[in-house]
Amino acid sequence: MNAIAFTDVTKSYGSVLAVDGLTLEVPAGSTVALLGPNGAGKSTSINMLLGLLRPTSGDIRVFGETPAEAVRHGSIGAMLQEGTLIPELTVAETVEFIRRLYPDPLPLEEILRLADLTDLAKRRADKLSGGQTQRVRFALAVAGAPKLLLLDEPTAAMDVESRRSFWDNMRAYAAQGRTILFATHYLEEADENSDRVVVVARGRVVADGTAAEIKASVAGQSVSFRLGDQSVSGLDGLPGITGVELQGGRVTLRTADADATLDALYRKTTLDVRDLQIHGADLEDAFLALTQEA
Amino acid sequence: MLSYIKVEMLRMLRNKRYIIFVVAFPLGFYLLYSNLWGNQVDQSTGVRGSIILMVSMGAYGALAASMMSTAVPWSQERHSGWLRQLQITPLTSWAIIVTKLVAALLLVLPSLLLVGLAAVLTQHVSLTAGEWAGLLLAMWIGTIPFAALGLAIGSVLPPDTAQPAAMISMFGLALLGGLWVPLEVMPSTMRSVAQVLPSYDYASIGWRIVAGHAPEAGPVAGILGWAVVLGALAVVAYRRATVRA
Repeated sequence: MNAIAFTDVTKSYGSVLAVDGLTLEVPAGSTVALLGPNGAGKSTSINMLLGLLRPTSGDIRVFGETPAEAVRHGSIGAMLQEGTLIPELTVAETVEFIRRLYPDPLPLEEILRLADLTDLAKRRADKLSGGQTQRVRFALAVAGAPKLLLLDEPTAAMDVESRRSFWDNMRAYAAQGRTILFATHYLEEADENSDRVVVVARGRVVADGTAAEIKASVAGQSVSFRLGDQSVSGLDGLPGITGVELQGGRVTLRTADADATLDALYRKTTLDVRDLQIHGADLEDAFLALTQEA
Repeated sequence: MLSYIKVEMLRMLRNKRYIIFVVAFPLGFYLLYSNLWGNQVDQSTGVRGSIILMVSMGAYGALAASMMSTAVPWSQERHSGWLRQLQITPLTSWAIIVTKLVAALLLVLPSLLLVGLAAVLTQHVSLTAGEWAGLLLAMWIGTIPFAALGLAIGSVLPPDTAQPAAMISMFGLALLGGLWVPLEVMPSTMRSVAQVLPSYDYASIGWRIVAGHAPEAGPVAGILGWAVVLGALAVVAYRRATVRA
C-alpha cells in the first residue's frame, strides 16, 4: 500500500510552475527525504498532500484517499514551516486540545516524552524559546498518532543540539512503522535520517534512491593507487570505470561501482596495488550537479 | 468541539486586554455612573438611572466582549499559522467558525452577569424573574451581529489593521448607539445615525424590558436584520479567508 502517490501533478501560480509533472510513490513505512533548493516545489507538494493547496492537474492520493479525506480521518500529521501557538495556553493544554481532535491519538504523556516536553508541560506558549516552540509543533504533528507524518524543513530554526535530538525523536516515531516525508535543503539531514532521498528541482524529481545511490549515479566514486612504472593499459576495461587519470605515478579510476572495480582490480589483474584510496562522491557535489542540470 | 470551545474560553479569560476592556471597564463605569446619576428618574418611562445604566453598561460590555474575542484573535490566528494547524486536523472548517461564534457568545456572559450583579448589590436594582430572564436572554443573543462583525473584520484584515478597525467599530457602535450618552442629548444628525445602528436596537430592547414592556417590533426586526446581514458577511469573509487555492 502506498502512503503517498503523486500522479503527474502540476501546480502553477499564474505563469509560475511550482510543481511540474511530479510523479512519486512512497510505500507505507518508509522515511523519505524530499531534498531540493529553495523554490524547488517542496512546500507546495507538502501543502497539496495536506489539501491546503489544490493541484492544477494530476492526482494525489494518501493511503488511497484524497488529501482532504485523509486529513479528515486523522491519517496525516504535519509540521509546517511557520506557525505559532496560542500564547495564553500552556504546552499541555495545547497538545491535549489537538490530540483530542483525532480519533485514535497517542496518550498525552507519550507525546510529551516523544517531543522532550515533559518538563515544559505547564509552561505557557508565550514563555517558550524558538527551539521549544518547534518541539511543541512536533508534538502537535504526532499527537494524533498519524500514519503519515509530514515535516517541512522542521529544523530550520534549531541549533545543532536541538537538531540532533529532534531527529532522534523523529526516528523513534518512525520506528513504530509509520511513514515519514520530510523536506529539507540540508544534505546531511537527508543522508542521515532517511531510507530514500528524492531530489527535486524546479518542480520535478531529478533523482530518487538511497543517498549512496544518488552519490554514485552522479559524480560516482574514485579509486586511486600508486601505479609506479606498471602499465596503465587495460584499466579502462574494468567494470564500472568511467575514466582513468594518471598523474605522477598515481592512477585515479573514476567508477560508478567501486566494489566491482576493486574486486576486478585484485582478481583479474596482476598489478601490484599500493597505497589504495577510495573516495565517495560528496553528496553536496551530487546535489549541485543534479539541481543545476535540471 | 467542546474542548475547542473550552480552550477558546480559557485563552480569552487569561488575556489582559479582554479582562480590562470587557470585564473591568463596564463594571467600573457602572459603579461610577450609577453613583452619579443612579437616582435620576427617566421622565417618559419612570425607570431609575441605575437600571438604565445597568442595561447601557451591560450592553457595552457585551458588545465589547463579542468583538474583542473575535476580530483580533481570529486575524492573528489566520496570519500566525494557527489556522493552518487546525486545518490539517480532522476539525472541519465549519466547526472552526461555529466554535468561534459560540465561544464569543459565552465570553459575553461575564460582563453581563457582573454588571447585573453590581446593580443588584450596590444599587438594589430589582426586577421580576421574568424581566431578568428576558433581559439577560435578549442581551445575550443580541450580540450575534457584533460577534459576526468581529469575525468578518478578522477574516478580511491583517492583525495590525484589525486591531484599530475593531476598536473603532466597537467604540463607534457604543457611542453612537447611545450606550455612553443618552440619545436625547445628541444632535439630531447623530440621533438619526444612531437609530439605524444595531447597537441602538440592541440597547433599546434592554431598556424596553426594564421599563416593564415587551420589546418593540422595530428594534427586534433591526437586530435580526443586522444579524442576517453581518452573519452573511462573516460567512462570505470566512470562506474567502480559508479558501484552498
